Amino acid sequence: MPEMKKERSEAILAIRGLQKSFGETAVLRDISLSVEPGNVVSIIGPSGSGKSTLLRCASFLETADGGDILYDGQYALRDGVYASKGDLNRFRTLFGMVFQSFNLFPHYSVMKNICEPPVLRGKDREETREKAVELLRKMGLEGKENAYPCQLSGGQQQRVAIARALALEPEILYFDEPTSALDPELTGEVLKVIRQLADDHMTMVVVTHEMPFARAVSNRVIFMDGGYIVEEGHPEEVFGDPKQERTKQFLANYNR
Amino acid sequence: MSLLTMILKMSEGLGKTCAIFFLTLLFSLPLGMIVALLRMSKNRIVSFVTRFFITVLRGTPLMLQLLAVTYGPYYLFGAGVSRNKLIPVVIAFSINYAAYFAEIYRGGIESIPVGQYEAAQVLGYTRFQTFMRIILPQVVKRIMPSVTNEVVTLVKDTSMAFTVSYQEMFTIGKQIANSQTSFMPFIVAGVFYYLFNLIVDRVMGRIEKRLDYYK
Repeated sequence: MPEMKKERSEAILAIRGLQKSFGETAVLRDISLSVEPGNVVSIIGPSGSGKSTLLRCASFLETADGGDILYDGQYALRDGVYASKGDLNRFRTLFGMVFQSFNLFPHYSVMKNICEPPVLRGKDREETREKAVELLRKMGLEGKENAYPCQLSGGQQQRVAIARALALEPEILYFDEPTSALDPELTGEVLKVIRQLADDHMTMVVVTHEMPFARAVSNRVIFMDGGYIVEEGHPEEVFGDPKQERTKQFLANYNR
Repeated sequence: MSLLTMILKMSEGLGKTCAIFFLTLLFSLPLGMIVALLRMSKNRIVSFVTRFFITVLRGTPLMLQLLAVTYGPYYLFGAGVSRNKLIPVVIAFSINYAAYFAEIYRGGIESIPVGQYEAAQVLGYTRFQTFMRIILPQVVKRIMPSVTNEVVTLVKDTSMAFTVSYQEMFTIGKQIANSQTSFMPFIVAGVFYYLFNLIVDRVMGRIEKRLDYYK
């Protein structure tokens, strides 16, 4: 793989000049960001600003039109051209994704939801089981091994989804509005788990509307609007002393 | 002719009725899946041609299709009409039912939320694994009521084989009715079909129940 030479960068994920349009509508215009190991990056912004599309491009669920995406310094997308299918599959093992609507497999028990993907990738069945039990304990879901998703609350389902993503031992974990489908009480229990992961130095990118959470948990906050990154920085800067007019306006609406 | 002899004579055809029924299911259920996948193909020509065949098979009488498959080769190529009518009968039934099953499958497949595919993709499932492990089991559960409908119809449709004089239960009954100038054989046939469908209903109900463990 000649074009696989490592860039001098410690970032797990690096995105440069990313562009994406749906038909005539440009959703991402020239997005650049990088995520270093152990960092928690929150992406905030109004609906339709491109936050979710950015995550979906990073996880190859959407096809970007231009720019670069690098994992561990290797090109997954270079100048709008994707790496080979095999390489993309290899990059897929580096990230995990937690969806707004959980997307658990309803016909599988909690245990099978978590264990099947690693086992299909060739991991030892027994080891995977043990790890799944440990993960469930961490998620506060001990005893739910044999439950089916429909028997769980939304908050519990989302925590299973997080465990399912973690079971594959990703280097970076993406959250696409993980609590938007939950009521405030259930939101709390899911955020608590994500906070725990942050304390364990899990590398994460979180698209969220939970401003206090973003402020408390992340090392860096990115405010997006209209397909651009309008402002980014330390959460205290962005939330406490935003520089851009658009950011001020957005946050003011939130604090009302 | 006593009622008992009538019933006994007609039961002799029940084996053939069952043969049509089970063989048609055996072939049309998987064939329907292939047709459904072709119908949903991204290749426009493949999808269009498949759609055309489905409209023909659903838009013309099964009776006509039976006649076409059984006697068509004779009229078209001068080929002999096969001695064993079971073969053309099962071919005609299988193709016809595959067209209906295909549309049921398609509806089922399209009703699965896109999030299931996306989760599977991110988790590293191949396209084949995604279909076999994630999508298909959920489709089966969703389409069970519609499939049951078709299976019940198939039981009754086996009687259509009389048009090519295949000696299944209804054909025998019809012959008795003609020779004895009696309506009784039709009542007997009705009871047979009803009992057959009671069993079908039981079996399908049990399968549905077994899939009831989730949502």
